[in-house]
Amino acid sequence: MFRPPAPASMTLNLAPMVDVLMCLIVFFLLASKLVSAEHYPVNLPWAVAAREVPSQELGDRVTINVRPSADGRADRVEYVVSDWDGQQIIERLLAPEDIEALLRARAGRAGRGEELRCVVRADRDVQYQHVELVLRACGRARIAKIVLAANKGAAPARPDGGEE
Amino acid sequence: MKRAASSRETVPNLAPMVDVIMVLLVFFLLGASLDLVTQGVLQAELDPRSGPGPGAAVEIVAQVRIALEDVGDGAGAKIYVMERALADNTFEGLRAFLVQRREAGADPDNMVVVGAETTVRWRYVVKAMDAALQAGFRNVQFAVSFGGPADGDT
Repeated sequence: MFRPPAPASMTLNLAPMVDVLMCLIVFFLLASKLVSAEHYPVNLPWAVAAREVPSQELGDRVTINVRPSADGRADRVEYVVSDWDGQQIIERLLAPEDIEALLRARAGRAGRGEELRCVVRADRDVQYQHVELVLRACGRARIAKIVLAANKGAAPARPDGGEE
Repeated sequence: MKRAASSRETVPNLAPMVDVIMVLLVFFLLGASLDLVTQGVLQAELDPRSGPGPGAAVEIVAQVRIALEDVGDGAGAKIYVMERALADNTFEGLRAFLVQRREAGADPDNMVVVGAETTVRWRYVVKAMDAALQAGFRNVQFAVSFGGPADGDT
């Protein structure tokens, strides 16, 4: 009687799958790093009229965080820029005088079809002059679209009777 | 002479590696899910005529001008509307004033310009902008001084 040959043991070749998964991991790793860089911890002001928008919707953008300086002096701040320059994620402290140059360079690289936005994430306790400096730099760099980050809603009350 | 047995082809078992990679993938997928990450924003637009250069000399006539003066080294802000101090000096009062203006027929596309003393805290500037947006004005801009003798506010 004819007997079929015993089936050879089959081993699934997982190597291509691992390659694809590795690529996906690198992509999401970079994307999540960019997201976290854009959501730098800053005590944002509160605004009832603020709109909750997905970051994706903001399109091509450069984010500038303005936070109080570590020494606690109200007249000094630190500027931290978060951006993707096409090759690497930039997240670094910036001197006030360098903001304009960065925005100019960034505006020059912006895509033709899409207008560059500048997202300003300023701490609620910094002085207006420090935010004004960023707005002025935007004006000089011909960036007209400004997005001011704020917490949506009314400011919660503090125990001492003031507002956050 | 004894010959070594021909080595059998070894295939590494990739299944545990795939498991780990899958877990990492899901982790980063959730972490970077851009649709899930939202932030509250107030959209502002600098006037196209702003900035240095010939355009900056164009005088921009705002329909409503709000000015903020620092009080008590950052403890508060004194509110001025059209160069006159607001009676109750609250942002709620500012909103009510602007609502009144809107109801009186002001165009929501009219420009509202918020100017502030350099030492005013950012939270008060945002509150002023918020009051204007809540009142229905859509075109809120900031006064930014470019310095220099010919440059005015934009």
